Amino acid sequence: MARPFKRHGRRVRVTLSDEEAGLLRTLPEQLKSVLDEGEADPANDRLFPPAYDDLAEAEAAAEYRRLMQDELVATKLAAIDTVRASLDKGTAKGGRWTAELDEDEALAWLGVLNDVRLTLGVRLDVTDDLDGEADIDPADPKAPGFRLLYYLGWLEEHLLAELKP
Amino acid sequence: MSAPTTAPVRERTEQQDEVVEADVPWVVIVWNDPINLMSYVTFVFQKLFGYSKEKATKLMMDVHTKGRAVVSSGPREKAEFDVSRLHAHGLWATMQKDR
Repeated sequence: MARPFKRHGRRVRVTLSDEEAGLLRTLPEQLKSVLDEGEADPANDRLFPPAYDDLAEAEAAAEYRRLMQDELVATKLAAIDTVRASLDKGTAKGGRWTAELDEDEALAWLGVLNDVRLTLGVRLDVTDDLDGEADIDPADPKAPGFRLLYYLGWLEEHLLAELKP
Repeated sequence: MSAPTTAPVRERTEQQDEVVEADVPWVVIVWNDPINLMSYVTFVFQKLFGYSKEKATKLMMDVHTKGRAVVSSGPREKAEFDVSRLHAHGLWATMQKDR
């Protein structure tokens, strides 16, 4: 089985099964829905945490939020669009989907994968460092969510191995 | 900056307060969270601050084992800028006055 990501010069080649590619195609839209919900979705408390934890800095905290929030949201929406566009390209053949990502696209993938994981973490109410994947109880209704969290973590590890900071 | 010769005392005090506020050092703290991968946190530290892999890894391990680590410091505006970049990368970061 080919590695999901492999660097070739300045590009990163993605190789996924059709099923994996289909799964990933659902993620940009889901993340965008979260961002559109704003304060109504608790995942946004994690995606946009406060800058100050000192209550005496309430004014500065509000000012930071006022200045930065829109910019942070716009950055994330841009990454979502980049990932979605790249997933629309590529080649599907013999049960495999492949594509070449440039540096910007690869970083957008990293950001979206990470934001989806953070959102999943909120949904699954993860508060402690994760146990191993083997510890997932198949009868637990959260099991599919945890499996997705581990799978996306595996993808992210492989992508990080091909990126240069 | 020329000193006023006949300015009232209150005016000079306000100027001094402005200078003191600009000089107060702030620290940027990254907090441990259960989702972010250790490799991802290390990558972000390298990318945002230009730290070597060794330094970035050490900082990440401090976050992981001690619950938090100071990743940068400076005037308020610089700290806010660093916090916003860390937030853009999904890290849990806050800033405090350096005591």
